[in-house]
Amino acid sequence: MTTLRRVLGKLGALLLTLFLASLLVFFSRFLVPGDPLRFLLRGRKPSPEAIAEVSAQYGLDLPPWQQYINWITGVLHGDFGRSLQYRQDVSTVIGERIPVTLGLVIIAGTIIAIVGLISGTIAALNKGRVLDRGILIGLTVLGAIPSFVGAIVLIAVFAVQLGWFPSFGSGEGFIDGIYHLILPSTALALVFVVLVGKVTRSSMVDQLGREHVEVATSRGLKRGTVIRRHVFRNAIGPILTVSGLLVAGLLVASSIVESAFGLAGMGSLLVQSVDRLDFPVVQAIVLLIVTAFVSVNAVIDICEPLIDPRAAAGADAR
Amino acid sequence: MTAQHPPAQRARRRARIAVATGVSALLALTACTAAEPEKASDVSFELTDATPAPSGELDSFTWSSYSEPYSLDYAYAFDYADNQVLANVCEPLLRLNADYTLTPALAESFAHPTPTSWVYTIRDGVKFHDGTVLTPADVVASFNRHLDPAVGSSWYSVFQNVVSIEQTGDRDVTVTTSIPDSQFNLAMGGSAGVVESAASLESIGADYGNSTGGVNCTGPFSLTEWKSGESITLTRFDDYWDKDLMAKSAEVEFIFMGDPNARVNSWKSGEVDGGWMVPLDAIAQLRGSSVGDVYFGMNTAVNDLIVSDTDGPLADPNVRKALLMAIDRKGLISAAYQGIGTTTDALTTESVWVDASKAALDTAFGGLEEYPYDLDAAKKLIDEAGVAGEEIVVATAPLGTDFSVIAQTTVAAAQAIGLKARIETFTPSSYTTLFSDPSAREGIDLFYTVWYLSSPDPLEMYGVLRTGEFSNYGNWSNPEYDAIVNEAVAIEDPAARSEKTAEAQLIANDQLPWLPLSESPVTLFMGKRITGVAPSINFLYYPWAATIGAS
Repeated sequence: MTTLRRVLGKLGALLLTLFLASLLVFFSRFLVPGDPLRFLLRGRKPSPEAIAEVSAQYGLDLPPWQQYINWITGVLHGDFGRSLQYRQDVSTVIGERIPVTLGLVIIAGTIIAIVGLISGTIAALNKGRVLDRGILIGLTVLGAIPSFVGAIVLIAVFAVQLGWFPSFGSGEGFIDGIYHLILPSTALALVFVVLVGKVTRSSMVDQLGREHVEVATSRGLKRGTVIRRHVFRNAIGPILTVSGLLVAGLLVASSIVESAFGLAGMGSLLVQSVDRLDFPVVQAIVLLIVTAFVSVNAVIDICEPLIDPRAAAGADAR
Repeated sequence: MTAQHPPAQRARRRARIAVATGVSALLALTACTAAEPEKASDVSFELTDATPAPSGELDSFTWSSYSEPYSLDYAYAFDYADNQVLANVCEPLLRLNADYTLTPALAESFAHPTPTSWVYTIRDGVKFHDGTVLTPADVVASFNRHLDPAVGSSWYSVFQNVVSIEQTGDRDVTVTTSIPDSQFNLAMGGSAGVVESAASLESIGADYGNSTGGVNCTGPFSLTEWKSGESITLTRFDDYWDKDLMAKSAEVEFIFMGDPNARVNSWKSGEVDGGWMVPLDAIAQLRGSSVGDVYFGMNTAVNDLIVSDTDGPLADPNVRKALLMAIDRKGLISAAYQGIGTTTDALTTESVWVDASKAALDTAFGGLEEYPYDLDAAKKLIDEAGVAGEEIVVATAPLGTDFSVIAQTTVAAAQAIGLKARIETFTPSSYTTLFSDPSAREGIDLFYTVWYLSSPDPLEMYGVLRTGEFSNYGNWSNPEYDAIVNEAVAIEDPAARSEKTAEAQLIANDQLPWLPLSESPVTLFMGKRITGVAPSINFLYYPWAATIGAS
């Protein structure tokens, strides 16, 4: 029962957060200088009739609250309005770009998880030794490379010099698509690997020093079993929490990598749309990112007790 | 009228914007990327009017564009990104050649039977990409869209004097204007004159011209795929009417690459075969490499400082003259454009004076007042005008090296002659509002633009500066000038018209409503694999990709 209540409570908070976010996302555009209509007409000499007609087409002649109601009603029906720059349904524009960004985030996430977990685990198990220090320094160096620098270096070395990978585009089909996304995903993963690696290391180190681990070891359990059952399972909580944050971080950071590699993803679309005052697209993307972020965190919140039952009972029970 | 604003790029943020405005164009902005030109090593350049003829056909080639087209709807194609693709897919009534002459295209001939009517005879046997045949009804439907307020056409100003567009014979379409308008016909070689299938316009509706709806035109290539945000693929149209311009490549792929480094990398690695508007700081390395060559072609653009407040300290023409004389324009070309350009005192390039008489050209360019770099003379003018100590504001935006260099140079020049001056930095998108929104220009005295002409007539430029015109950003007003320009617009004979236009050019040169700085050529990169295009700014309206074949 408590679990169900907890889940419902989380969902309620999720919906409230999304509603507040939608208000913020929609009305913030009225704070931005610049008239979307002026941008739509792109500075030409329009006839007054055209100005009136075009404002009506995009609902710009209505009071802001009315525009919000229309917008949110549409959003609930999957209709995000019409893009000013592409003169196309926002859902079409975004729908075409979601696969690239998802691919990028999934591959980068995989790289981050594998490299971060393995390097963090190895470091923790060799705490204080040369290997540990080597990994920490290595991670810190990687983490200090901004995505755009990583992208430039990767392109210069692996695309222009060696010619092993394409320097732009998302390719055709699944296999070619993955091939095209390897360099960009790597550039995107660099900064985040250090985060997961370090959190894994400290969380494991923390667990390794715990009494129950020592007890388990003294009972003669195999080291591998101890680490799997007692250390890793207990260490996973903080790692999951950080991973939740990563999703939002990856979505936002993808814009830089997408631009550098000429990928048509949501990140580069967002940057472009902000510049072009294409507010229906900006609103839709920001709302999607907020939704993704809040949902992932809610799912992690809900799932954590399933992995580690102590979390459900609360920290006091430890 | 014409013109556009091309996109511009922030140096570092990689974000691009397409700034479209009235009659202008911020031309090679794209070109200007991050490199700071502290040690400007000038690039030598020479104009070419053609590249070597191709030796054969190609299966396909790839081309990079700094930006995705907003739309391939001719009514909205108002920018480099839109027009360089559209020009190969959709055709206007007339054809704007590399030397800026106009010749018949979808109209096999045209007549001007009365001062207020233009009659176009539509070519027989032209097919749209879907196989249907071009008729005068398609012309009528296509043109009427410019007058439809619900469409909000970017080319409305071309049609502003149009009263009616009607089919007046088996193959004739007559356009009637309210006043004699020589400029209407001259715009028929640009996107304003494009003809689309009436049936397709009707059936595709609101999605016409976007990546979902596509277009159905008569050009040497048809649009076969538009991967939103990434690329556009064109395929040769085998039923194309003009056998001389049959595409030499079966396919062309346009790849959108906002990042100038990404564009240069894709050329250097051979992944992309070419592109217009080469990032200026990459020219030296591209020329030094074995991957291809950089060409410089005919342009119609002038780099100007627009005087956006003719009531402030710059109200007195002598103050404007003083400011221009205080700017070291040769140094500016080195710093802002890597030396690729020449100074000018006119607001038009000679290249747009296509049908001008010799007398007109002599007047227009021979009679120009020159404003050489002369601080002492400039200071004297400032003292005489009694404006020393007054403040001017120069608007800029992080759109490229040229923007920052020009803003800083202008401020330094103003300070050197006793004015106060400061820079106001706009975001790229808010900078574009300077061109469209009078309230955005309040408190701003000067802003930079690259302004190109889309029709072969310098009058296009001078029409903009008439009292009350939308793009007369400083509300400059000179009744004598207005009368001359209005008279010129009504003159049908190009030579006679050019003589009137020359008078307008001299007034603008004397009064300096805008400060002309320099001219820059169009830049083009082509990889080793391909050749055959004529480098010229007509790439915005002419099916240039059809001429590219194997080298």
